[in-house]
Amino acid sequence: METLSYGLSTLAVLVGTAFSVIGILGLVRLPDVYARMHAVGKVATFGVVLLTIAAVLVVPFAWSKGLVLIALLVLTGPATSHAIGSAAYRLGIPMKRALRDDLAARRLPEAGA
Amino acid sequence: MSQSSVLAYLRLIVLCFVLYLAITANLEPANWAAGLLMSVAIALIIRPASEPLSLRRLPAALLNLVVYVAWLSVDIIRNGIRVARIVLDPQLPIKPGILAIKSEMRTELGRALNAHAITVTPGEQVIEVDDNGTLYTHCLDVEASAAGAEEAQRKRQAMLKAIFE
Repeated sequence: METLSYGLSTLAVLVGTAFSVIGILGLVRLPDVYARMHAVGKVATFGVVLLTIAAVLVVPFAWSKGLVLIALLVLTGPATSHAIGSAAYRLGIPMKRALRDDLAARRLPEAGA
Repeated sequence: MSQSSVLAYLRLIVLCFVLYLAITANLEPANWAAGLLMSVAIALIIRPASEPLSLRRLPAALLNLVVYVAWLSVDIIRNGIRVARIVLDPQLPIKPGILAIKSEMRTELGRALNAHAITVTPGEQVIEVDDNGTLYTHCLDVEASAAGAEEAQRKRQAMLKAIFE
């Protein structure tokens, strides 16, 4: 049983770290702030959640803490990335290589107004 | 005290209590008592506004919540792998764009959760919400997202409505 949970924990650490590395790669490779937000958001959801699961599998009686932590991460992560994305759009930072922009037709309230 | 305000207090107390027990991970009677005392104190300080709550709907809502979380998890994993593939591809095949997705949720909470569900999946992120509830969503692959948007949005809304509205 202990071997199993250690094995699963190791797997979770490896996959979580791999996704974190991919997220950072995306941050470097993707062209603009909006696309980069996707990569960063993925690091938060995948990397951190998997590392939390790994910790929970090894430390006994901590699963409920891990569950609360994961719930809070998943609930609050999108709020921050939305805030950054929305602020970027209101500041008029252009999208690179954009195929369509349904929002361009609508006039947004001025930033800071 | 009316029945609905009692329910509002009870809901907050139970929520705080469960959260306290989860965080402390300690099931000794003294800890139970401390948690209960703090939960009641928090409820008395916050004074939750009474809303139309019904106990009869609770089991169905909880069941739907579990289904919703499971569906969302699968969606996150599937899209996470898709985005990872895009990032690792030497050609970086992104087709970014902003897509207008209609939300038919009536309450502000419903709309916020709808936007949350979209933003939490990798590759899609709500940039702006207008007064009509249209969610302007930035997609890493706007063609693929546009093709699946209506179907996914219908499923999301049905589940959110069953839980919160």
